[in-house]
Amino acid sequence: MNPIPEQPRPKDYKSDVKPVWCPGCGDFGVLNAITKALASLRLPPEQVALISGIGCSSRVPAYTSLYGFHGIHGRALAVGAGLKAARPDLNVLVAGGDGDGFSIGGNHFLHACRRNMNMTYIVMDNEVYGMTKGQASPTTAPDWTQSKLTPSGTLSRAFQPAAIALAAGATFIARAFSGKPNTLAQLIVLAMQHPGFAFIQVLSPCPTFRPEQKEWKNIVRPFPADELPTSDPALAALHCQRDDGMSTGVIYVEARPVWSRSEMEKTTIEDIEQEFRS
Amino acid sequence: MTKPQVIATEAEFLAHALALEQESVDRYEELADAMETHNNREVCDLFRKMADFGRKHAAEVERLAAGTALPRLEPWEFKWADDEGPETGEYADIDYMMTPVQALRFALANEKRSRDFYALVAAYSPDRTVRKLASEFAEEEAEHVTLLERWIARHGADTAMQDDLDPPNIVD
Repeated sequence: MNPIPEQPRPKDYKSDVKPVWCPGCGDFGVLNAITKALASLRLPPEQVALISGIGCSSRVPAYTSLYGFHGIHGRALAVGAGLKAARPDLNVLVAGGDGDGFSIGGNHFLHACRRNMNMTYIVMDNEVYGMTKGQASPTTAPDWTQSKLTPSGTLSRAFQPAAIALAAGATFIARAFSGKPNTLAQLIVLAMQHPGFAFIQVLSPCPTFRPEQKEWKNIVRPFPADELPTSDPALAALHCQRDDGMSTGVIYVEARPVWSRSEMEKTTIEDIEQEFRS
Repeated sequence: MTKPQVIATEAEFLAHALALEQESVDRYEELADAMETHNNREVCDLFRKMADFGRKHAAEVERLAAGTALPRLEPWEFKWADDEGPETGEYADIDYMMTPVQALRFALANEKRSRDFYALVAAYSPDRTVRKLASEFAEEEAEHVTLLERWIARHGADTAMQDDLDPPNIVD
């Protein structure tokens, strides 16, 4: 890896691999924001690992000069958690889509929130499985009928990422819009500086399978600044429940002990073997 | 006219002018790459050309800023009217089937926002040097607007998006 300059620019964190995302895809904005955040933090690329699952958005590690792992479907958080346990010195970013993170990886999501390891999880939410040509995902609205698999809609309530992260115990929860990469970059900086599990749901339009999402840029607006962020889970829950999913900003921040390998290291192999013998 | 956040010093102004051009160059290059990947060669070439123009303007600003210590501003600290610099086109305004005329219109909108940004700085900055520089920059951006309007006129009337006979969102 090349050393980064004293004042790095975002492009210092990009690789030579060109994204294959559709022009107009929101994931470009997320890549842009990640590299801007890293430049702001002046982090050498070798101190950051970007782990992903499967899907359009999960291609993101290849487009950066960071350590990267394009993992298996839904298991990005499990891989990220393993890496953080083995290499606590690394800044671990985990990224993927709504299908990867909330359906196949839904259980990992719950327990990552609960465990509170020090890493940042960025979900590019376009409410559709794009890579497999446009099926409903967990965050798809129940009345979306554009897929041949769900001609009468999904008949299921849409997953509420922020509310579920809150209930599961995430200590930093934010929502952002990919069309505002500079604001998103600031949120990523805050998330990476947060001690504990930080979750950012990024509304990231899919122009190919959800062309109506091009309108999102006219709909998103910030949460009321006088009430959020909060460390009161009841107030955060109220905003999550009241909101139509289009408000952006940091919702919830809580100081809670971070999962640490040193706690585990208090137990020796001999102790464990003894337990099995007894 | 919406009153902008005030840019009060020459160093702050030049930091904005430099970022405006650099961000625009990065975005045009990114969009050109995307068009190349999706085999829209004409629009790819056009975006590369716009990036080249931007690089020249950035070099001009760097020359002007030589010897001036520019403040390091984080991306969210710039005093733009919106989230990104005025000459940075939005990802959402791009389509892989867009025509060169549509790409020129995209570039025109960027140049107009840039011209308006400088005009507002010229109107509201308390610093005389900043006002003078901003007026000159606004004039230069206005020339780009005129040039792009001429190019668009030369390319003929606006056209609809090109047809894709095998669109990606059709399941076989």
